[in-house]
Parts: sequence; structure tokens; C-alpha cells
Amino acid sequence: MIKITNLEKYYRTEEVETVALNKLSFEIKEGEFVAIMGPSGCGKSTLLNIVGLLDDADGGSFMFNGIEVAGFNERKRADLRKHNIGFVFQSFNLIDELTVFENVELPLIYTGVKAADRKTRVEEVLDKMQIMHRRNHYPQQLSGGQQQRVAVARAVVNKPKLILADEPTGNLDSSNGNEVMQLLTDLNEQGTTIIMVTHSEHDAKYSHRIIRMLDGQTVTENILV
Amino acid sequence: MFKNYIVVAWRNLLKNKTFSLLNIVGLAVGLACFILISMYVMDELSYDKHNTKASRIYRVDSDIRFGGSDLRLAVCSDPMGATLKKDYPQVEQFTRIYASSGSKLLKKGTTFIEETKVAHADSTIFDVFTLPVVAGNAKTALNEPNTVVISESAAKKYFGTVDAMGKGIEVNDEKHTVYKVTAVIKDMPQNAHFNYDFLFSMDNVEYGWGNFLSHNFQTYIVLQPGADYKAFNKNFKQLIDKYILPQAKQFMQINSMEDFARTGNKLEYSLMPMLDIHLYSDRFPELGVNSSIQYVYIFSAVALFILLIACVNFMNLSTARSANRAKEVGIRKVLGTGKKSLIGQFLTESTLMVFIGLIIAIGLVWLSVGYFNSIAGKSLSIEMLLQPGYLLFLLLMPVVTGVLAGLYPAFFLSSFQPIAVLKGRTGKAFSRSNFRSALVVFQFFTSIVLIIGTIVVFRQLNYIQNAKIGFNKDQLLIVNGTWALNTKADAFRNEVGKMSGVKASSFAGYLPVSNSSRNDNTFSTEAVMNEKNGFNMQVWNVDYDYIPVMGMEVLKGRNFSKEYGSDTTAIIINEAVAKLIGMDDPVGKKLYTSTGNANEIISYTIVAVVKNFNFESLRQNIGPLAMRLGNNKWATAFKVSAGDVTALIKNIEAKWKTMAPDMPFSYQFLDDSFDNMYRAEQRIGKVALSFALLAIFIACLGLFGLAAYMAEQRTKEIGVRKVLGASVTSITTLLSKDFVKLVCIASLIAFPVAWWAMSTWLRDFAYRVNISWWVFALAGFVALLIAVLTVSSHAIKAALTNPVKSLRNE
Repeated sequence: MIKITNLEKYYRTEEVETVALNKLSFEIKEGEFVAIMGPSGCGKSTLLNIVGLLDDADGGSFMFNGIEVAGFNERKRADLRKHNIGFVFQSFNLIDELTVFENVELPLIYTGVKAADRKTRVEEVLDKMQIMHRRNHYPQQLSGGQQQRVAVARAVVNKPKLILADEPTGNLDSSNGNEVMQLLTDLNEQGTTIIMVTHSEHDAKYSHRIIRMLDGQTVTENILV
Repeated sequence: MFKNYIVVAWRNLLKNKTFSLLNIVGLAVGLACFILISMYVMDELSYDKHNTKASRIYRVDSDIRFGGSDLRLAVCSDPMGATLKKDYPQVEQFTRIYASSGSKLLKKGTTFIEETKVAHADSTIFDVFTLPVVAGNAKTALNEPNTVVISESAAKKYFGTVDAMGKGIEVNDEKHTVYKVTAVIKDMPQNAHFNYDFLFSMDNVEYGWGNFLSHNFQTYIVLQPGADYKAFNKNFKQLIDKYILPQAKQFMQINSMEDFARTGNKLEYSLMPMLDIHLYSDRFPELGVNSSIQYVYIFSAVALFILLIACVNFMNLSTARSANRAKEVGIRKVLGTGKKSLIGQFLTESTLMVFIGLIIAIGLVWLSVGYFNSIAGKSLSIEMLLQPGYLLFLLLMPVVTGVLAGLYPAFFLSSFQPIAVLKGRTGKAFSRSNFRSALVVFQFFTSIVLIIGTIVVFRQLNYIQNAKIGFNKDQLLIVNGTWALNTKADAFRNEVGKMSGVKASSFAGYLPVSNSSRNDNTFSTEAVMNEKNGFNMQVWNVDYDYIPVMGMEVLKGRNFSKEYGSDTTAIIINEAVAKLIGMDDPVGKKLYTSTGNANEIISYTIVAVVKNFNFESLRQNIGPLAMRLGNNKWATAFKVSAGDVTALIKNIEAKWKTMAPDMPFSYQFLDDSFDNMYRAEQRIGKVALSFALLAIFIACLGLFGLAAYMAEQRTKEIGVRKVLGASVTSITTLLSKDFVKLVCIASLIAFPVAWWAMSTWLRDFAYRVNISWWVFALAGFVALLIAVLTVSSHAIKAALTNPVKSLRNE
């Protein structure tokens, strides 16, 4: 599903050029659950942004579903992204002014789903995430675990092939964290490919494979399953 | 402590350059408008105050209604002043000004120059008005005939020196009188209701003196200190019975003033305080162009609103930015600073900012005062600001404005709870505020009212210029002063008439624009006049060609014609006269008037009715007017064809020079004179337009800052939406929507207010436009467009930002 070859990314300030990704290569197959680990500043988030089609690489190749997407412009990336990729963030990134229902509905609006269909699909996914009773609440009225469940609901409502999770349990206590990891595992079992960046060895154990990074390169790959 | 306030204030100013710039520019422009308008208002309120007896000087006004036509005069009869002084001890002194003779031709070297700032005055003018004398003796200056008092400018113009005592000035009247200069006075100030360079002796006025029934003299009296002018007005009734009624009985069957009043007629006199003349007097004839208190109110309101808009900007931007200051407030509070001293700190900051704005504003005023003078018809100067009273005002202004603008932000910021702000629980409270929305609504409300006002003023002006006025003012060239050609006037008219490009010509002493010659007379429908059959009307002496050259329309009957020998007793009336005398077909009927000698009556036969034409400003209804054949060669009108008018004028001037080499050639186009009647409205239009633009500009500065801040506040939201697939358009719409809503609310409030205000203004015009719906639509649309353009630049910028960046800011 994802094939990355010699991927490069630099950050420039006036004086220094920092290498974020240094000729990175790996491949992820459809249906896999991969964890990416490494110390702060090793390039994990950069990689996730590029894989999530939020950012552009400076060199190398990135095949997504057999299509070369490195060099896609913003519009094409956005189009590909909104139909294929769901995001889960450490800080949830729910919109404070919108209710639970409206937050989850948002991706459907942007992909042009009709209002009647949206309602059934949002309700279906809220039901699955067991937060249906909170549908009219605002994010700040929910606990952290509930907020992250809303975020996961929002990520999957469009039935993406790939979910990118950036430290999804980072702001949660352990029981809420386990709950979210269980949700991701369930989604993976239903066929969704998941790439997760994490600092937690505990969370990484939920995955099939761990890619360890250092200074913009993969160091080791452990296969867990 | 205070030093710490200033230091922090100054650093904050430098730290947020864009914010500071927006605020200071907004404040500077707002203050500049405010200073300019306050200078204008001060000038308007200062009229005639330089007179030491200012508060005791009154003008005697006359209100006459006779036969259905009203006269509101700023003049009264020649014996009035002396009679008042003789009979009433409250009257300390009186003086008269006679300006009805118009301009004079004065000889300088070998040629004559037309002077318009001329009048005849009583020698007592120096007792009433304060006219500082540079040379000569004020007491005796105008005591004798053939004397003249001139201004310093006039002395320099005619003699090259202020030292003009005893010199002679020749006037091109029938006798070529030479006047002796008996005093030189300082130039009269601009802010006086009259302004003359030449005051000739009253003894030189040829007049039927002692006539209580003719009203031709501006008469001023000085009351004793403490005398009440309203109480004094009651004396006029007695004066009328004693002096005027006996004279009236000589040429009219009238028993008592009560009988006169019972038939709907009126003769009243009243005193007008001189200090009120400039702003409250709208009579005929005024000695200068007066203003109106209405405009002083309008301008003051506009000044205040513009300053408020600038203050609102400050409040809006400061509270919007408050999240950035919250941490500082939290730390200061943790360190033990009280709420009071925090308020002090924020007020210091706002005052500092206003002070910087004020310095720039004074610079702006200095730069723009010339332009303002040109559009407002004033001669204000920056030196006005140096008067002690105004300096104090300038010093207090930043403090008052600073407190006004800073108070709300100060209370808002200082009320933060330290724990909450330090934990970062602030974001929500600042992003949406009803108060801030109300402020934006206020700004746009003001802007929209000003836009509508501007559109209506210009529409009315346009309407006036294109209104059907009953005559054709286009392509009419008026050559002034053709009477000076004496016997050559006919030859001049004929020769110019033969030039190519001239279609027709007529002597035209009377013109259908205000400030032209007028001739009011009393007529009756029966040979013996009484209070029932008598009426007043304009009667103009014209020639055979006048009506066709002016393009007036004869509705019934015929124009004057040489084919009828008796046409010297023919008269042509307008529709207003026909209506007044209540005749459907008045052609062939007779009108009577006195010749001026007692009991001598002359009769005229009505030969035609012309369509009503506006001969005064469109502010007034069309009054009764008649025309008869007569010899008035004061000016000559030429109907010219479009084409090379400049060359034609050169030819006419050349012809003039051959016939009257020492006379000045002066001409005007009738449509220009027509436009001049509406100069006050044109000024208001231009001033309103300028200030509307500035108000919108300041409001936009605020909106620009606010939109920038809103976009910044919602960075995270925008990032999330983009990650989920939102397009640039949808983000831009999202951010602009809130402001659009506010502008719509502002429009809804502004529409009725503007409608009411402009209807009130239009009520002054007898002929006026309707305020159509599209004016409101247009104003709303313009405001909306400006708001969207201002906001969308930020919105688009925010929408184009890579979401990775906005989300990393977490």
C-alpha cells in the first residue's frame, strides 16, 4: 500500500539546514498495523505528515496504492487525503465550537456526502464508539478518553483505507489509553491499515511491526506477530 | 511605578508593530478629522464676536405678507433706525448699510475695475461695529457726501500704500463722482456676516428718503446694557400704528392694522441678535453667505462619531489581543499587583498611544487644512490650534480619548484570574465576544449612515442640476455691465448677435438665479387697492426677445410684439400669479399698480401666461412674477451654439474693448450661476464624502486587525478542518461569515436612521428627490464588499497555511 524509497526532507533556517529524513525507505502492506518509535526529533512526525499527504518531501519516491504521489500539488494531495486517510492526534484536535455530532460529520461534509446519508453514517460510527449519548455535547464537556473516541470516530467515519495516529494515548490515563488502543486494534482487524507514532512500548505491542528511527533513518524493524 | 508603566507600554508598542500601527494610524486619522471639524465649528461659532458690543447689536428684520406672497426680509425702511433711537431710550445707537446698488466700477489709473465688496453706510457704523481705524478719524469719516472708508487691502490695491488719506477714487456712475478717502480701516475679518473693502457715504444714495413702506436698508441698533430684545419687539406694534399706517393710507384703502391682519396680511418687525445672523438667518437679502446651525450640528456629530470609531478600534484590537497579555496579567497578579494599578497601567498605555496618534494627527491637519478649506469654503489655519483655550483642549484630548478607549480593555484585562490564565485556560473567552461584535456593528452603522447621506446629497444635487426649471439655462452667455456702454449697448448687442455661434440675444437685467436684481411691487386686480385685492409680486422689465432667449414657455396668449403698439402697457404673468388672482383665463384682464406718486395709478393688460419657472433656489416654491416691456440693459444674454465657445468669448471681448476700452469685461454662463446657488449643498456633499471615506477607512483598519486576530485565534480549527479536507474557499467563507453577519445587522439599524436623517435634510427643499430603496441596497452592498475584502485577505492567508504548521503550534 505504501512504498517509500530514499525519502528526503530538510528544514532550513537562515543559517542551518537540518536533515529530518535521510534517504528513508520502507514498505507497508494493506491491512498492517505498524508502530513507529524513536526519540524526540528523530523525524517521526515529519514522516507521518508526509505519509498523511499533509507535507511534501524534498526527494525520493512515495508510492501510495501504486501511484507516485511525491510531487503532487496541494489540491491533489487534499483530494487523495480526504477520501483515503483518517487522522488521530495526541491532543484530539476537536473543534471547540462544534458538538460531538458536528465534529464527526465534518469529513463527510468535505467529501460531499448528502445530509441524510451523513446522519446515518455519523450515528452508526458514534454507536460503535459508544458515545451516542454524548452526541449533542461540546468537546470541553467530555473526558479525555471520550474526546479521543470522538476523534477516532471522526477519523473512521469516511471509511479510510489508512489511519495515521500520532501518539493517540499521549494525553490519556492508562485505562482510557487501553480503550483507545483496543478501538484501533478492532479497526485494524476489520481491514484498516494503521500507522501509529508512539513513545510507549506498551502501545507498540498492539502493532504487528515496529519501525525504530534515529536521525531520520530506520534503524531496526521488529516484527511482533 | 509610573516609569515602569511607560517602559512596559513602550515595549509593548514596539513588540506588536502591526497592531500598534493599525491602532495609531486609526487614532491619528480619527483625531485629525476631529481637530479639523472642531476648527470648523469654532470658526462657525466665532462669527461677529470680534465686535466689542457684539451681544448688544441687533438687526431689524421685516416679515411681510401681502396678497398671499411672503417676504422675509433682512432689511427695513430708511427712517426705522432713527425713529427707534428717537422714541425708545433703550436704543443707544443705530446704523444702516445700503448694499442694494450692487457692484461698482472704480477707476484705477486709466481703467475701471469691478468691485463687489462695496456698500453705503451711515457714519454711525463705527459706533455700532468694531472696525479698527488705521488712519483717519472714525467719528467724522462718513459725515459728508463724497467720502469713502477703505480697507488696507483696497488702499494697497489702488494706491500701492496704506497711506491713502485724502486721495480720490472715481466711481463710474452717471456723475463720475470722485470720493475722498477719509479713513483707512483694517481688513474686515473673514468670520463676520459682512465683509467690505469700500464703505461709501450714505449721503450719496439717491433715494426717496423718509418712506416707511419701502424696505431696502440693513439696519442695526445697539441696545443699552441689560435691555431685553424680546421685550423690545413688543414696541414695534405701537411704531407701526404711529408712523406706518398713516403713510399706507395715502395710497391704499386701509383703516387699521387689525383690518389688514384680518384679511390674512401681515406686517411685523423683530430684532435679530447679530451673533445669531451667521448660523440662524436665512432672509433676503443677506450681506454675505450665511451658514446654518444644522450643519454645525451635523459636523459635530460626524466628528464625534469618527473619533468614537477610532476609539472602538482601539478597544476591539486591545481586547482581542488580550490573550497575549493574559500571561503578563497573571504573573503581575501573582506578584501582588492590585487591579487598580493594572488598570492604571493599561490606561497609561492607551493614553501613550493616543498621544502618539495626536502628534501624527496634528501633522495630518497641517497637511490637509488647505484641502479642507477648499471643499468647505473656509479659511482655517493651523495657527488656530495655538489659542490658549484650544491648546488646553489639545492636551486634554489624548487623556480623555485614552481613558475612553482604554477603559474597557483595562477592566477586561485586569479582571483575569491568575490561576486560570497561567494554566492557559483563556482561549475560549477571548475568541468570541458580544461586546466586540457590538462595537463592530457600531462602526459599520456609522459608516453606512455616512454612505447613505453622501449618496442622497449627491443625488439631490444632481436632481437640481437636471430639474425641469421652466427655462433653458444651457448655452446662455451673460455679458455683465452692458449698461456701462450707455448708448452703444444696442450696437454691441447687434454686432455680437451677428457673430457666428450666436443664435439670439436679449437684454437681461433680471436673471432667474438668486442674487440677481429683483424688483418687488404691489399690484391689485381693481383700480382702487384694498387689503383684499392687493398682492405683491416680482415685476421684471424685459425686452421682446427675453422670453424666447430664456426658453420660457408661453401657455396662453402671446409674447410681447412690436406689431402691437400698445405693448408698453402689456404684462405677462406666470402661473403663480394666475392662481393667486384666481383666474382660469386671465388673458385680457387688467392689473393695477401705483406709479410711486400718491393716488397715481397705472393699469396693465395681461397678454400672456408663462409656465412657472424657478427664479430662486429650488429650496423655495415659485412665487408670483410678471414681466413687462422696459429698458434694462444691465446685462445682455446671448444664446450660443455649442462649439468653440472660448474663441467666441475672445471675439466678444475684443468687440467690448473697441466700444468701452476702460471698462472691465465680465461674463458668466447662466448654468454656472445656477450651480452657484447650491454651493453650500455641494460643499456639504464633498465634506460628507470625505468624512464617509475616512470613517470607512478607520473602521476597516479595525476590521483588518480584528480579522487578523480572529484568523490567528482559529489557527488550530483551520488546521483541523484542512486536514479533514476543507477547501480554501470553504475556510475563507467560514472566517468571513461572522463579519458579514455583523455588517448585515449594522445595515438594518443604519437604514431607518439614515432614512430619517436624510428626509429631514431634504425637507428644506421645495423640490427634492425621493430616497429610493437602491440607495440603501447600494450602501449596504458597499459596506459589505469593503468588509469582505478586508477580512478575506486574512482568511485566504489562513486558509492557505499548511495545516502541519498550525497544528504544530499546540
